[in-house]
Amino acid sequence: MRPRRSLPLLVPAAPAPCAVPLRGVALATGAARTAAELWLGVHLPGGAAGAQLAALAERAQRFTPRVSLEPPDGLLLEVRGSLHLFAGIGALRAALLGECRGLQLQAQLACAPTPFAALCGARAGRSFEILEPAQLIGQLTPLPLTVLRWPEDTVARLGRLGVRTVGAALRLPRAGFARRFGPAALATLDRLTGRAPEVRAAFAPGVRFRRRRELDCELTSHARLLAALTPLCAELGAFLDARQCGVTEFECRLVHRQHPATCCLVRLAAPSADAQRFIALLGEHLAALPLPEAVRACELRAARVVAQPPQAACLWQPGEHGGSLAREACGLIERLRARLGPEAIHGLTFLEGHRPEHAWSLGPPPATLGAQARSHAAAAAPPTPRPLWLLAPPQPLAASQGWPRRRGPLRLVSEPERIESGWWDGAEIARDYYTAVDAHGVRLWVFRERRAPHGWFLHGVFG
Amino acid sequence: MLEHPAIWRGRSAAAQPPGLPSGFAALDEHLPGRGWPRSGLIEILVPRFGSGELRLLLPVLAALTRAATARWCVWVTPPLLPFAPALVAGGIVLERVAVVGGARPLWAFEQTLRSGACDAVLAWARQPSARNIRRLQLAAEQGRTLGVLFRPRRAAREASSAVLRLGLEPQAGGVRVTLLKARGAPRTAFCLEL
Repeated sequence: MRPRRSLPLLVPAAPAPCAVPLRGVALATGAARTAAELWLGVHLPGGAAGAQLAALAERAQRFTPRVSLEPPDGLLLEVRGSLHLFAGIGALRAALLGECRGLQLQAQLACAPTPFAALCGARAGRSFEILEPAQLIGQLTPLPLTVLRWPEDTVARLGRLGVRTVGAALRLPRAGFARRFGPAALATLDRLTGRAPEVRAAFAPGVRFRRRRELDCELTSHARLLAALTPLCAELGAFLDARQCGVTEFECRLVHRQHPATCCLVRLAAPSADAQRFIALLGEHLAALPLPEAVRACELRAARVVAQPPQAACLWQPGEHGGSLAREACGLIERLRARLGPEAIHGLTFLEGHRPEHAWSLGPPPATLGAQARSHAAAAAPPTPRPLWLLAPPQPLAASQGWPRRRGPLRLVSEPERIESGWWDGAEIARDYYTAVDAHGVRLWVFRERRAPHGWFLHGVFG
Repeated sequence: MLEHPAIWRGRSAAAQPPGLPSGFAALDEHLPGRGWPRSGLIEILVPRFGSGELRLLLPVLAALTRAATARWCVWVTPPLLPFAPALVAGGIVLERVAVVGGARPLWAFEQTLRSGACDAVLAWARQPSARNIRRLQLAAEQGRTLGVLFRPRRAAREASSAVLRLGLEPQAGGVRVTLLKARGAPRTAFCLEL
C-alpha cells in the first residue's frame, strides 16, 4: 500500500481549478504566454480505455493541478510551475512514466511551450524537451503531417503538393492555405506554433467513490472479509488523497447469493483520508455485523467528500504545550462508537436552573480542538453543597415514624434547603433537601416532598 | 541506573518523578513523588460506593481540566450520573469531561487509557482479573494517562500491578486512608479531612 502523503501533492492557487477551463491563455499574447507555460504531452500508442485515461489523469494531478484530457489516447499537463518541485523536467518525466507503468500503460512524452505542439511531439515519438519558445518551430519542422490528425483527404492533397512535414506546411502562404484547406486547418497550425491561444478544458475528477470487488470464493469469516476489503480501503484512501478530501462516512455493502445485500455504514468523528483508520474501523463494525449468508462480492461507497487540505504534522504530543488531541480524540470516539453504539460517549452540560433535574444535560462529546473553558464560577455557586452523584429518577426511601431509612435509620446533618420551582412547565417540584448520613458513614442527599403524602426520596450521593 | 523512574526498590524512597498535587497536604506527604502519579493505574478500594472517593480526587481533576494544555477527563461506566453543578462547583471544566457508557467497561477503559487523549480516566469495573489490571496499567503508561479504578474493599487481598493502591474508610468529617501499595513508600494509614 502506498504510504499516505509520501508523494508531493500540488495545491492549486485558484480555489476551484477543475471547474473552469484553463484560461489566462486567451488574454496573453502568444510570445508572453508561451514563455509562461510549459506543456507536457502524453501519448498512449496502445490506446487506453476511458477509465484508464481518467485514472492516469487522476494520478497526473500529483504533478500539477492543470491536467487536460485529449481523448482517446492523449493527456496534457502544464508543468512550468512544478519543475522546481520535481528537480527539473527530466525527473518529472521519469516520475510520470513511473505512474504510467503503474497502470500498465505504454507512454511517449514530449514537452513544449504550446499544448498542441507537446501532444504532436508525443504522437511522433520525439521525446523532445523544448523549454524555450524560440526553439519551437525548428523542432516542429521535421514532424510528419499525420501527427496533426487532419482529415485523410487534406493530408493526401497536401502530399500531392509535396507538403509532407509540418515545416513544409508552415512555409505555405497563410491566405492561400486558408482558402484551399479551410480556416480550421490554419487555426490548427496557429495553435501549434502558439500564434493563436488554445483554451483547454481542465480535467475534473469524479467526486464519488464506488469500487466493487468480486470475491474469488464465497466468504463467511469476518477476518477474511476484512482482508478482502483492505485493498478497497487503500483505494479509497488514495482516491481521497489525490483530491485532498476526506470523508465523514462511508458505506460497505456485502452482496450475498440469495439475501439482499448487507450494508454497514461507518461514521467518522472528523473527516479523514487515512486508509489504516478506515480498515481498523471497518474491522470493528464488521465484527458486530451478523452475516445471513456467505458473501460473494463487496463494495465500498463514499458519496460525500469534504475538502480537507493536508495539515502539517504536529511536533508536540497531546497534553504538551502546543499539542492538539484532535487525532487521538477522534480515534477514541470512533472506536467506542463502533463497538458500543452511537450513544457510547457523551459530554456533560451545565444548565442554569434550581431544579436538580434541570441543572444538567447530556451533550455531544467534548470538542477535540483546543476547547476554551467557559467560566460558570459565578453562576454555579449553589447555597448549599451539591452531591457529585445524582440518581435519576429519585429513589423512594422507606420511612418509619416520619424519618427516612436506608439500610438503617438516616441521620439528617444539615439544615433543610427548599427547592420549589417549575410551576410554568408542568414539571413542578416542591421539596425540602437535606444532607443525611447512613449507618456506614456515606453522605446522601435526600428530600421530602412538601405535598402529601410527604414521601422521602434519595436523590444523590456525595461520593 | 537506579535513578531511572521505571526502576525502583521496595521500601527505598527512590527518586520518584514529581506527582500531581492532590490538594490535601497530609496525603501529599505520604504519597511517593508527593502527589498522584502523572501516569499509571491507581486503585482506590472503598467499602461501599460513595465513601468519599470522589471528593478525594476532585482537586486533582479540577487542576487537570483547568490546565491550558488539558486533555480530556473521562468517566467510564459510572454507577450513577455525575452531577454537573457539583462538578462545576468543584472547579472541574465541563468542556473537557466525557462520560462513556456501554456494556464493556474494561475494554472501554483500556481504549481510553491507551488513546493518549485523556489526562485522567475514572472507571468502575466489576472484578477485573490481575491480568486485566496489568493490561490496564500498561495502557495507562502508554497513553501517559492517570487511570483510577474503583474497587470494593475485599479486593485488597488480591495482588495487583497498579502503581498505587489506597483503601478508604469513611469517618466523621473525612476519610481514613490506608496506603496499601506505593512504589518506595511504606504501608501506612492516616486520616484526612475532606
